Amino acid sequence: MSQKVERCQKCILSSRFPRIEFDEQGICNYCRRAQKDDGENYIAEAKAKIEELFRDRPTGGDYDAVLCYSGGKDSTYTLQLAVEKYGLNVLAFTFDNGFLSDVALENIQRVVTTLNVDHWMFRPGGESFRNIVRAGALEEIYPAHTLTRISAVCNLCISIVNTTALKIALEKKVPYIIAGFTLGQIPLNSIMYKNNYEFLADSRRKPLARLQAAVGEDNVGRYFTLSDTLLHSVEEYPLSVNILCVEDVTESEIIAQIRQRGWIPPEDVDGCSSNCRLNTFNNHVHECTFGYNPYEMELSHLIRKRMLTREEALQKISQKSEKSLEGLYRELRLNKDDIGTMSKG
Amino acid sequence: MTFNTGNAIEQLMQFIVENYMVEREEVPLEKSLIDEGIIDSFGLIEISSFLEKTFSITIQEEDLVRENFGSVYKMIDFVERKKFE
Repeated sequence: MSQKVERCQKCILSSRFPRIEFDEQGICNYCRRAQKDDGENYIAEAKAKIEELFRDRPTGGDYDAVLCYSGGKDSTYTLQLAVEKYGLNVLAFTFDNGFLSDVALENIQRVVTTLNVDHWMFRPGGESFRNIVRAGALEEIYPAHTLTRISAVCNLCISIVNTTALKIALEKKVPYIIAGFTLGQIPLNSIMYKNNYEFLADSRRKPLARLQAAVGEDNVGRYFTLSDTLLHSVEEYPLSVNILCVEDVTESEIIAQIRQRGWIPPEDVDGCSSNCRLNTFNNHVHECTFGYNPYEMELSHLIRKRMLTREEALQKISQKSEKSLEGLYRELRLNKDDIGTMSKG
Repeated sequence: MTFNTGNAIEQLMQFIVENYMVEREEVPLEKSLIDEGIIDSFGLIEISSFLEKTFSITIQEEDLVRENFGSVYKMIDFVERKKFE
């Protein structure tokens, strides 16, 4: 059966997805397993814990939380939830990788102004970041097993976001870091976790060594690590809390809500992003390398949770512009021949 | 109170195989799952949360060290010690 089926008939996982098997009805093993354990109890428990956590939050600091704000729909809705639902005093932080859509940058300005939150933006040197992107696309920075739900370049970008957010939280002694991840992007039991840099650094050691070989020690040190001085000053690591994961809300409901804050969908991004032009390139590289779209897992999760239809998900992964991709290759000074084809599958 | 090490290893192995798309034979019991490229930082968080929930233990900040999480065997040894603390 698995030889004939291109995609699961229920979700959108394709026959190239790791360890996939299809039954007689063309349903994949991931959908069958999800039926047995839908995680609802875990989510309800996490929701109660988050409400209690923020209700009894420490007072006296400049901010309750650093919120990683990319300007996309999910982080915009997350910012709105943090401010309006939980009443948090938030420092919004945007990592501008130089590939954010102009409309996304305007959205960010409008939303932080409307919600009246302090905002801090960090933009790395253009060539430094392009070097990192090229390394993510051309070198095997991460093991294939860890790239089933994210492309290598997105992983590098998010790693910079996480490191910078942690740096801000530690410097300003902010107890929480909030991000706009959804379930499907992160595992179920990572809704809340202690951001212990030294413990988690172990998992980054090898990838960062490979990255360093490609882009140099300075770039890795500056964007992906914390200084010893800062680490020695740590009294307690902040707690990462992914508040969007416990919300039962569809994508169209999110968009309807954030439109009221002045958010406009950018048109120069692909169907899987609502802020970053580079996503088109990252997905393309992942597809060439592994044979499947890195959003398949996240979108399939949303389908199973009835937050998205299969048709909508298929439309998302097919909505990409060849012209945009060619432009990104030029911006990155790469050729299509540079990218390997399913060599790491 | 008794602790069945064999069952505990089996439960953890089942979790790893189901969540990280590996075959059982690909998971060395005595080696680091990170060094073997099986999990990333989210995997570490996920496994520590799984251990807390499955074995009813509370993992403290000071427990988060390679000596406790450096392999399947080390994780189960750690759980056993926590159970009898």
